[in-house]
Amino acid sequence: MGSYDRALSVHSPDGHVFQVEYALEAVKRGTCAVGVKGSDIVVLGCEKRSAVKLQDTRITPSKIGLVDNHVCLAFAGLNADARILIDRARVEAQSHRLTVEDPVTIEYITKYIAGVQQRYTQSGGVRPFGISTLIIGFDPNDKTPRLYQTEPSGIFSAWKANAIGRSSKTVREFLERNYKEDMNREETIKLAVKSLLEVVQTGAKNIEIAIMAPGKPIEMMPVDDIEEYVKVIEEEKKEEAAKKTQRRGGAGSGGSGLTSTLLSQRT
Amino acid sequence: MAHGIMDGTDGWGTGGCLSRLSDSGREVLLGITGKDFTIIAASKAAVRGITILKAEDDKTRALNQHTLMAYSGEAGDTVQFAEYIQANVALYGMRTNLTQELSPPAVANFVRNQLATSLRSRNAKHVNLLIGGFDPVKKTPHLYWMDYLAAKAEVPYAAHGYAAYYCLSILDKHHHPDIDLEKGKELLKMCIGELRHRMPIEFKGMRVKVVSAEGITELEEF
Amino acid sequence: MSRRYDSRTTIFSPEGRLYQVEYALEAISHAGTALGILAKDGIVLAAEKKVTSKLLEQDTSAEKLYILNDNMICAVAGMTADANILINYARRAAQNYLYTYNEDIPCEQLVKRLCDLKQGYTQHGGLRPFGVSFIYAGYDSHRQFQLYQSNPSGNYGGWKATSVGANNASAQALLKQDYKEDCTLQEACATAVKILSKTMDSTTLTSEKIEFATVGKTESGEIYHHLWTADEITALLKEHKLGKEEDPEQDS
Repeated sequence: MGSYDRALSVHSPDGHVFQVEYALEAVKRGTCAVGVKGSDIVVLGCEKRSAVKLQDTRITPSKIGLVDNHVCLAFAGLNADARILIDRARVEAQSHRLTVEDPVTIEYITKYIAGVQQRYTQSGGVRPFGISTLIIGFDPNDKTPRLYQTEPSGIFSAWKANAIGRSSKTVREFLERNYKEDMNREETIKLAVKSLLEVVQTGAKNIEIAIMAPGKPIEMMPVDDIEEYVKVIEEEKKEEAAKKTQRRGGAGSGGSGLTSTLLSQRT
Repeated sequence: MAHGIMDGTDGWGTGGCLSRLSDSGREVLLGITGKDFTIIAASKAAVRGITILKAEDDKTRALNQHTLMAYSGEAGDTVQFAEYIQANVALYGMRTNLTQELSPPAVANFVRNQLATSLRSRNAKHVNLLIGGFDPVKKTPHLYWMDYLAAKAEVPYAAHGYAAYYCLSILDKHHHPDIDLEKGKELLKMCIGELRHRMPIEFKGMRVKVVSAEGITELEEF
Repeated sequence: MSRRYDSRTTIFSPEGRLYQVEYALEAISHAGTALGILAKDGIVLAAEKKVTSKLLEQDTSAEKLYILNDNMICAVAGMTADANILINYARRAAQNYLYTYNEDIPCEQLVKRLCDLKQGYTQHGGLRPFGVSFIYAGYDSHRQFQLYQSNPSGNYGGWKATSVGANNASAQALLKQDYKEDCTLQEACATAVKILSKTMDSTTLTSEKIEFATVGKTESGEIYHHLWTADEITALLKEHKLGKEEDPEQDS
């Protein structure tokens, strides 16, 4: 390892920039976030850490932030870093309106955010942002849903559906198996919730869902509505499991209650 | 009331040509508060010198859901300043994920602060303003009158430009803090009627907007 | 500044952790305990003062509790020198907001401003993170009484009752056990002093060893904050039979 991960913006002899790679580890330690595009909406879903008993539930900072009326962002990684990066994006979004009289396009603001992240991998005396982001929204006067991802390195990419954060690989694989083109509103939200349930065992109270539709303000889904989706999904899963056990002759699985209590203790 | 824009030094200059400053005197801005609303009205004529450039101008900007600003003054300055304020107030809302917006009094104070700073810079913005709002938390209407010297006053009704000479007396007589929207509209119609009747300036009618608990809506009947 | 020093800034460890921040947290876990409890009609902050010498002048200045502005106070745990910088920054930020908007700054925004500064010191060159955690107690019209906590990473959260500093694990456990939803400020004060008496190293409580402050509403509906005087603390201790008997000759 030597000193190639001490100085900040330095390549190791085999071409790695260690600080950026370590920043990705910080992202993996963050809670999971997913983004899914439908035919005419786009959905963000987030894993929400359960509140400890004495926490004031009115004031838990959300993992979903509004950049402008038509752009929304979810992150995984260090909360404090995210606050700073989102704020930079918000200032740029308004500044863009002021200079060219148009709201930003989703691609533009993605590029901007990725650009800021890139600069922190290459300038002296700073460490990279320990966050990945999913950016959703609709361009002004456009009905095409957009979904982008940025990483600590400054890479950005467009996606049909994607996940970041803890267990993002599992969730992404799930999305790869289950994504369909041209999903309607219900299907899109359901897929987002279902994919999150791959890593969230504790159900609706640990899930946040934000929905964007063209020309409309962001819609944060109430917990009760998420609960409905979770119920439907769990019913379906049970039916499937029942079919399987019938075929195989019954070998049920228990113990998920235990894992859920363990998970909820992590804050 | 001796407003800077209306005293004798402005208006027709010594050369007999119309000074640019008096353009703002011929722009009409009116504001009326009532029980649960604030009306903001602005003339539709965009004037430069002795020419009307446009008859469908909108001299207002929505700053957030419950605050509307109307402006008159130096042509370039007005829009530049209004958009700058608009962007900053929007940014404030974004920073709280739209869970908290600036209240109308806070907006007015921010605007005054910015205008006062601009006034003391090398290129001061020449902008007169009316800020109308409705505080959705305290359920109170607000109207602020502000001139280009960044003098601010909270008032029940207000006017900028020469229109003030014709309208304030009407409002003095008929206005009451508890009026409903219908009465407010009626008062505004009286004011506009008087302007049409007495004021020797074509202002191409008024664009009228209402701020209430429901937000900002334009009234098409004017 | 020499390169040799500014390369020693906060950087990621291979597991994606920020050790500098974690070391700062470690430093705070040796500081005197501070705790805050949210009641329905106010908030109480209480803190343990570490009296290092009998010769130290008491009552000249607060060590753990500070006023930020008209509607917010805070308790600190950690490096007092770092805290002074941050408190000064917070006071300026609060006054600047008042100057700009002619309204008091909403509590969360002030906390956020301070945390943004803290975050900067975990990311930018040549700087170590601030070695302080805060508990904030405040009031604004959006969310009434609010209690926050922040740490050197620049994270913050809202709490009904929380603690920082040495023994904060046991203090937190006691809070969890004793906290009652919708308790009154008076009850909260009792809980606070009780918990402090259990978590503090010394056996007897005296007004020299603790600081106490409350935020509340007067009968006319105005918000007040109050740093308690030694006499008031002594009275509270007496009321709950936690203070030692009057005996000037005995060592504390």
